[in-house]
Amino acid sequence: MVIDKATFREFQIVGKVLTDHRYNTSHSGNISMRSGGKMLIKRRGAMLGFLEPEDIIETDLYQQDSGIMLSSTETEVHRQIYLQTDAMAVIHAHNPFCVILSLVEDEITCLDAEGCYLYKKIPIIEVENPAGPADAAREVPKVLKNYPVVVVRTHGVFAKGTSLIDALQNVTGAEQSAMLRYYTLLLGKPLKRDLSKEKFFSEW
Amino acid sequence: MLVSMINLMIKINLSKEEIYTEELSIEILNEYLGGRGLGVKLLYDNLGKGVDPLSPQNILVFSVGPLTSIPLPTSGRLSLVTKSPLTNTILHSNSGGFWGPFFRRNGYYALYITGKFTGSSKGYILIDGTNIEIKDASELWGLTTEETLKKLTALEGNCQVLMIGPAGENQVKFASIMNQAHRAFGRGGAGAVMGSKGLKAIAVKNGQNKVQPQNPVYLKKLNQVAADKIRVFPITSQGLPLFGTAVMMKVINAFGMLPIKNNQKGADERIDLISGERLREKFFEKNESCFSCPIRCGRWTNTGDQRGKGPEFESLWALGPQCGIFDLKIITHANYLCNKLGLDTISTGNTIACAMELHQRGLLDRSISFGDSQKLMELVNEIAYKRNLGKELAEGALRFAKKYNGTQYAMQVKGLELPAYDPRGAMGQALNYATSNRGGCHLTGYLIAMELLGVPKLIDRLSIAAKADQLVLKQNQSAVEDSLIICKFVGFALGFDFQIRFLRAVTGRDDLTIAELVKIGERIYNLERLFNVQEGFTRIDDNLPERFLKEHLPGGRIVPLDKLLDEYYHVRGWDDNGIPTNEVLEKLNLKR
Repeated sequence: MVIDKATFREFQIVGKVLTDHRYNTSHSGNISMRSGGKMLIKRRGAMLGFLEPEDIIETDLYQQDSGIMLSSTETEVHRQIYLQTDAMAVIHAHNPFCVILSLVEDEITCLDAEGCYLYKKIPIIEVENPAGPADAAREVPKVLKNYPVVVVRTHGVFAKGTSLIDALQNVTGAEQSAMLRYYTLLLGKPLKRDLSKEKFFSEW
Repeated sequence: MLVSMINLMIKINLSKEEIYTEELSIEILNEYLGGRGLGVKLLYDNLGKGVDPLSPQNILVFSVGPLTSIPLPTSGRLSLVTKSPLTNTILHSNSGGFWGPFFRRNGYYALYITGKFTGSSKGYILIDGTNIEIKDASELWGLTTEETLKKLTALEGNCQVLMIGPAGENQVKFASIMNQAHRAFGRGGAGAVMGSKGLKAIAVKNGQNKVQPQNPVYLKKLNQVAADKIRVFPITSQGLPLFGTAVMMKVINAFGMLPIKNNQKGADERIDLISGERLREKFFEKNESCFSCPIRCGRWTNTGDQRGKGPEFESLWALGPQCGIFDLKIITHANYLCNKLGLDTISTGNTIACAMELHQRGLLDRSISFGDSQKLMELVNEIAYKRNLGKELAEGALRFAKKYNGTQYAMQVKGLELPAYDPRGAMGQALNYATSNRGGCHLTGYLIAMELLGVPKLIDRLSIAAKADQLVLKQNQSAVEDSLIICKFVGFALGFDFQIRFLRAVTGRDDLTIAELVKIGERIYNLERLFNVQEGFTRIDDNLPERFLKEHLPGGRIVPLDKLLDEYYHVRGWDDNGIPTNEVLEKLNLKR
């Protein structure tokens, strides 16, 4: 398919950032965006950090079609997110600190100011088969109706955005908050200021 | 040993109406597994040089593999090996369904048929436990495959049937052997070999001897993990079950490598009219699966006027875009007709497309134009019954084009018509077409999986770097898959890691390694090559039609075949003329 230069450039930037920051292995992770009533999504097996125009696959937004032969393994999760939420773009990455905290916590409570401002807390969900798309396609959209980013325990994050760049901020922002929380917990000392105890946080 | 318990071979000499069984040697089974490997070994050892494929001397070897009938994914396939009347090369083919498991449960591993019924006698074979009979088929001769199935089932009760249609009876060079009338040993004209022997059908009743794996506990665990992987992987859990193999139509068109009008173009804007999605929307009736298959890519379709199986992607393409036809109903009916008559759809469509281009170029003075769907249906019938121009077309595209001084318009390699991937769009697939031992075949080393589908990982489709190395490994692995035997589709989700583990679970041989298995594949591939070398095939025959070496295709590249071949022979350890060297043969325990 033919993809316009600006859109492709956005895919390239996002793919490169996710790879350079080690949010994924050489081949894992997937990114997509709505376009003209369809979905543009990374090709299965393509390397996020080195995308070529042929690596962006167009597939139907509303039903399965032959694009499934080429598109990311998690295409169905992306599709359900678009169908059930306000997402304009979706990123799936294997953020290391988010995954680590998902092994021991039920949500990631942000301790840093930016995290608190943007997310307050990042939900963690558990599905029976975290590596496959079927369970995630059922559970992830439910959470993304109310939150910009969610962690699937043992697996990674799904983030939505108004654009790919916005979704990228949610992936990186969640990871930043998770990393800061992880190191803070390692210190084992009481917090001087805990924003999570302040206004509206617990109801978020 | 790689085979547990059951390793009996039925040998039938039709000329003498002689039937007996013998035990297959453990050495052969250890070195060739079963299926394709076993068939190739038996053919190489027993068929003399230069035998006419349609003479009584030719041999048909049907065989199962060590995984056949074991409860694991896609363990229902059956292999066939013979000498091809279309190409004069070795011919291996396999088909799904239930015939293989029924046969193995009768206590058999292989069926070896030679000779020919005397005079004008026609017969069929019935296998029911230790009772193996040759029966008169005079009432079946002349029937379509569907009619044959109906009549044989009425005569013999519940059984699985391999049969030929009128095309096989008339020895059309690309007649197929049909399996339950709707599946096929499609390629290379095995149906004509059966027809030349006067053998209409082979029916088998379900046996009672269930083959038990040596390590059922390990197998159970493996099956659980495999089921998860098949369920998770979109090609096996969504693409193929939903749309069948026709799912590939839009995919290949999008890459500009769907052959249109005898490979004159690589894409067409009318593709939505004949896509897998359209087929499902318009004609889909229900899925059908082979023995122990969770994918269920088979499908029954109903056009309102007719009902049948398919069409599969290759059939949809060959009888459609390759002939310039984009009418889904006509293509579907042409596919049904090929099945009833017992014709290989790929060769049928390609040969007709070749005639269409010969007409376009002014070399054939008949009104056969691209897009003429009426003519397509007429020609399918004429080919099967060898009537009018059909008599010449029944020889295949290469012989037909030669007759009309247009060899370059025959899209074939070694006489076998090419499948639905234009080689200019994928260099590994191009090299596979050129080097496949049975001629222009996509399945012998399906590098499309890597070059397009990203399975297991994506590689640059237009690059030639390391393509020879990738292809050799893939061809060797495929030879193993065809000998175990399991379906290539399940390989998309499971890969070679599972195959070795399944084999360990079934045989109890925990010491087996992937390297050993690949070496078996290499042995099979080289033995096939030796067979072809004996028949006079050399580098000259590892070729592609001129079009792919000279004409540009948008989004593709001209195939640098010589360079690819040099590398391929080097990787294989063959000499510059494509002949296996003594060192390679010694390593593989092969003799000329």
